[in-house]
Amino acid sequence: MNLSNHYHVRDIIFITLIGIAFGAIFISTNFIYNFLTVVLTPVGLAPMANDINMGIWVMAGPLTGFILRKPGAGFLGEFLAAVGEMFFGGQWGASTLISGAIQGIASELGFTLTGYKVYNWFSLCLSCLTTTIVTFAWDMFKNGYAEFHFGMLILLFVVRFISIFFFGGILTKMIAALLDRSHMLAKFGGSNV
Amino acid sequence: MNPSFKLILIILISFEISFTRSLTANCVLIAVCLIYLMIHKIKLKTLGIVLLIPVIPAVALSITIAFFTPAQDYHFALVLFSRMFAYVLLGTSFTLINSPIELARSLEQNLHLPSKFAYGSLAAFGVLPKMKSTILTLQKAALMRGITLSYWSPKLYFKALLIAMNWSDELAQAMLSHGYVEDTTRTYAATIPIKSTDWAYMIVPILIIQPLLFLLP
Repeated sequence: MNLSNHYHVRDIIFITLIGIAFGAIFISTNFIYNFLTVVLTPVGLAPMANDINMGIWVMAGPLTGFILRKPGAGFLGEFLAAVGEMFFGGQWGASTLISGAIQGIASELGFTLTGYKVYNWFSLCLSCLTTTIVTFAWDMFKNGYAEFHFGMLILLFVVRFISIFFFGGILTKMIAALLDRSHMLAKFGGSNV
Repeated sequence: MNPSFKLILIILISFEISFTRSLTANCVLIAVCLIYLMIHKIKLKTLGIVLLIPVIPAVALSITIAFFTPAQDYHFALVLFSRMFAYVLLGTSFTLINSPIELARSLEQNLHLPSKFAYGSLAAFGVLPKMKSTILTLQKAALMRGITLSYWSPKLYFKALLIAMNWSDELAQAMLSHGYVEDTTRTYAATIPIKSTDWAYMIVPILIIQPLLFLLP
């Protein structure tokens, strides 16, 4: 467990670097998003490209929350990544910051609900679930999801959850297991994944 | 204009246009941002690239709203289309003109963000280009051993995390050795004042945009 909930400058640099590193990995997936969007548009499922990719975009939140085990880590991981993206990736402009804050709160919520005491599959799944619900609610307004019929909304929601569960849940757990075996996390306060 | 105030203004407006459906307001915002960027002599090529990026998602989303929803609301399709460009232009009105260091200084001095957050994240953003090339190196090095590290491989993230850990140690030490002490009062080499005009620049646009957002279609 974590010894201190206090953030030192090293923790902040570490969290920001995670966001940047993941951003550098995700850049290569942009073409997948564009390809999916173009392919899905004629069948009326263009927004699904969003939901399929959502897990990749929000992954930094559950991951930092899960490995750093401090209140606020999930939020900071996602939000600082968005700040970086705004300045250096740039394309989504100011909405990146808002989405980043919303996704950050969303993944943080899962860990808040367990009182920052439980860090296992349950809390990770909870974080994935809150991320899906909150980001979906935001897209009801931002991307006009409220206009779609009920069946489509269910489909989009399920696809989004699967994507977030794969990247934020399964992949995060595998990464955490590798970190645990390397004993590198001990100095950041996390262990016993 | 004070960077913090400008950021607050941009975030507030972006947030508001996410919940309202005014095509007029979106178009006015796009026009104002374009004029603002022109005044600041942004290269046309840069502007072109910025405007090109949201085209695919914007077109795809409006087609879906216009033809594949029960309501087939053409007006809302146009609102969503213009909204994407408004987001991007509002964002670039900040990022192309203000630097991260200005923002960090302003957030620390004007909004009293703890300096460790301002300079910690700034230090990390400083190594962004190096991080990009390091991730590529990781992937290429793995390929030479016949291993593909794709965006779904946990090993790639694991390696990236180890790098982040090492670098965060080194950067934090570098900051300490340059005399940075967290949680103490600091003096400022460059002060960023809040002028009365900054308040005006923030409040006046907010007041002007309200009737456009809520009264015009």
